[in-house]
Amino acid sequence: MADRDYLGEFEHMIVLALLRLADQAYGVTVRQEIELRTNREVSIGAVYATLDRLEAKGYVKSHRGDPTPERGGRAKRFFRVTAKGVAAVSRTHRALESMTEGLGFIRSYS
Amino acid sequence: MTSQSHVVQPPPLAMWLLTLFALDDAAEHILGDLLEEFTRLASKSGLPFARRWYWRQTLKTVYQLADHGFRTAPWSTMIAVAGGSALRGDAGRLVEPTIFAVLERYHVYEHHFGTYMFFASTGIDIGYLITFLLVGFVVAFVARGREMVATMSLGLFWGALTVVSFPAVVMQSGYGTALSRVTVYFADSMAIVIAGTIVRTHRLGAAARHLQA
Repeated sequence: MADRDYLGEFEHMIVLALLRLADQAYGVTVRQEIELRTNREVSIGAVYATLDRLEAKGYVKSHRGDPTPERGGRAKRFFRVTAKGVAAVSRTHRALESMTEGLGFIRSYS
Repeated sequence: MTSQSHVVQPPPLAMWLLTLFALDDAAEHILGDLLEEFTRLASKSGLPFARRWYWRQTLKTVYQLADHGFRTAPWSTMIAVAGGSALRGDAGRLVEPTIFAVLERYHVYEHHFGTYMFFASTGIDIGYLITFLLVGFVVAFVARGREMVATMSLGLFWGALTVVSFPAVVMQSGYGTALSRVTVYFADSMAIVIAGTIVRTHRLGAAARHLQA
């Protein structure tokens, strides 16, 4: 049943940010990428809560980087999208395209 | 050029709050990420701006962490809250009879009237505070890793009950008395949360010492 799931709005943004950032995706870069592209302030807590949820669903995987001095000796947690995550984002994207098709969406609401 | 002596640090209270609410090892990534951005913002836009940003991030993140903590283990948290409520009810009923039994046992009324009056009024409030602090300790001890979520849920539950019952208390005992009672009830809820904070801080300290060893 989970394989038929669609991504929520913020989950969708997070997965797209991970795909854009590739192997540079960790808390700071993901948060900044979403802020930069959506013009809304995003908290690091919201980013990690969503990433944890996506990891529990098997849509992303994470690993620890090395501790760095500019982070006070704390490690980064890097994320990447799994094949299951790519399928979920494609499914969600197709559903949104299908729902907006024929609405003259861009012309009417931009 | 930033020398080691000029390294700016985020507000310690904000960092402590984040550590309290973070689950498992999440505090390491969250504090590291925030420090990285805080340092960049401080050099780019100034320290006051960076501090305001850090506090904004902290408050939003603490809310997210508490919400996430509850959602990832709703049943165990609710069981801790229900158990804590039952314990609070049972232990709360014992406070006044216990204090009066002790006062009677030592004939305080006859020999030390001032002391008797203190224990019969303020002493009862202190007794409740200590009792609810102990209830908070038990709940936090059981809800390992989710001490803050469990004790805050219990505190909020009783706080909400206090608000709901306020009109009834006003009708029964008048506005002035009701207001002082409500203050005491809120203090009881705070005692539960403070106990959660103490247990959480103690466990984090023990974990840090274990890592160092």
